[in-house]
Amino acid sequence: MKISDTRLNKVSDDECSQLNIDISINYQQFELAINLPIPLKGITGIFGHSASGKSTLLRAIAGLEKNLLGEIILGDTNLVNTEQGNYLKPEVRQIGLVFQNSRLFEHLSVLGNLEYAVKRCKTKKLVLSEVIELTELTTLLEHRVHQLSGGQQQRVALARAILAEPKLLLLDEPLSALDQHSKTQLLKMMLKIQKKLNLPMLYVSHSLDELQQVCDTLLVLSQGKVVNFGSIHQVIHQLNNFGENTLIHQQTSLSLPIKQFNNGHGLTVLALNAQQDIYLTSDKTFENQTQLRCFILASDISISLTEPSNSSIVNHLFGSIKQISYTENKVLLIINCASQEFFVTISAFSQQKLSLTSRQQVYLQFKASAVRTFIH
Amino acid sequence: MINSDLQALITTLEMAALTTIILLIIGTPLAWYLAKMTSRFKVIIEAVVALPLVLPPTVLGFYLLIAFSPEYLPGQLWQQATGQQLAFSFSAIVIGSVLYSLPFVVQPLQKAFEQLGDSLLEAGALLGAGPIDRFFSIVLPLTKASFITAASLGFAHTVGEFGVILMIGGNIPGETRVLSIALFDHVEAFDYARAHLLAISLLIGSMVLLAAIYWLNLPNRNVSESSNQIRISK
Repeated sequence: MKISDTRLNKVSDDECSQLNIDISINYQQFELAINLPIPLKGITGIFGHSASGKSTLLRAIAGLEKNLLGEIILGDTNLVNTEQGNYLKPEVRQIGLVFQNSRLFEHLSVLGNLEYAVKRCKTKKLVLSEVIELTELTTLLEHRVHQLSGGQQQRVALARAILAEPKLLLLDEPLSALDQHSKTQLLKMMLKIQKKLNLPMLYVSHSLDELQQVCDTLLVLSQGKVVNFGSIHQVIHQLNNFGENTLIHQQTSLSLPIKQFNNGHGLTVLALNAQQDIYLTSDKTFENQTQLRCFILASDISISLTEPSNSSIVNHLFGSIKQISYTENKVLLIINCASQEFFVTISAFSQQKLSLTSRQQVYLQFKASAVRTFIH
Repeated sequence: MINSDLQALITTLEMAALTTIILLIIGTPLAWYLAKMTSRFKVIIEAVVALPLVLPPTVLGFYLLIAFSPEYLPGQLWQQATGQQLAFSFSAIVIGSVLYSLPFVVQPLQKAFEQLGDSLLEAGALLGAGPIDRFFSIVLPLTKASFITAASLGFAHTVGEFGVILMIGGNIPGETRVLSIALFDHVEAFDYARAHLLAISLLIGSMVLLAAIYWLNLPNRNVSESSNQIRISK
């Protein structure tokens, strides 16, 4: 183990490189065609249901999917160009991948697995002991990998991937086999690592809740095609309206400043704007944070025509209806509160009773517990 | 032990050791190729490799004898290259043994490689390990048990070989006279005492060798699971 006083160096020096993808992959039952430049900044989420092609896309970027046509360029490196017959092997691409099943080497200890990456790393900017500390593996170094829990194994896999000092880290459903506690622990760790090393990540998941917490941008795939790509809140809000919308639960996705961590009643106050606040149940992890990401399912919000006064529901927001759309027995309302759009679903029965119209002023109500965060 | 028998023992061990080394060198890539191969010709190659399991050794020996003779191309090429006749030489019995013991080395290795799969190799590649590096740092340690099994089965089977050697090696002391042939000679000459001596030492030797392998493999069994099991169907 290298012991050194130097602080962790950042792996990538250039602020924001780009990943240019223009590929098509054809199998008998499945077709993927993606043409997209992805700016590599922070964590970019890739969301979609199973067989949407998200894992295949990661494998193509990593160099594990040989059955493709087209071109992938990372920064100024041409990873693959089938027209020119270029194909960089995965071992020289400098791209890391954390798999769903951690794929640790069973014949090596935890430390042995980490050293495997260190030995083959050409840049050697990172200090092993610091990465061990960052991934909280200090007490596990001598363990055999089969003695570890699922969460511990994924932490080793994450540390091992980082120690190879990739230019880009791919994460393929890294949390899907873990329990809730391990999930939040690993998510927080990923955020910390991303910030500390300035390492761009592509994070594949079928859980929007996970992605909503850590990603700045979101790429949505469906049946091998790009459905949407952009800033995460925007993309989620656009997905609310997407076609038959079988992709997500309709919801309002927010990043809001924390106004007060604990108001004395176990509630945290978020500032929606100068006049209106949102209350949610406090969690000690909110402390020391200035900004909080949260989401409110459209089915958790109800509408009232008058200001509710005798209610246990703490959140009352005032806004005006921007759009009403009908699907079968449900009605989706988009309501502007200050500059923020809220998505609300009500039953067709309620719509008939209230006869809501566009630009009508209404009150939104939702419980503090309806404001959800994934990390807590 | 009498001198000529000691000579036969040395010849046997030399032959078996050399055969095992050659088998590991050519058997490993062959087993790897078969494990990763998806073409429909795979079954044909597999059948060829497995042939010595079912074929009478004399059949193999007969064809090798013909091929090794100076009248045919392999024997001619050998003679041109080395200046010596291939048939009835130490080299001939080593080549014969390699072919004869091939399935005993290739099959356990192929099975181990198939069970290992690609996932760990992909992980290794993404950490910067090239194909050779991956073989020595991942495949070899994880299939160690199967390599030990393959090597010892190859060795033991070569020691016990009789038919092929009789056909292509003849019975030249110090060159092609191995233990099994010497034993046969003693029986033919009604020298049962010396035959007993050889037979019992072969029996005990093989027993000790196999026990040692199974004992050695005990702690490794979990790593490559049941890959060290081979079905010997003779």
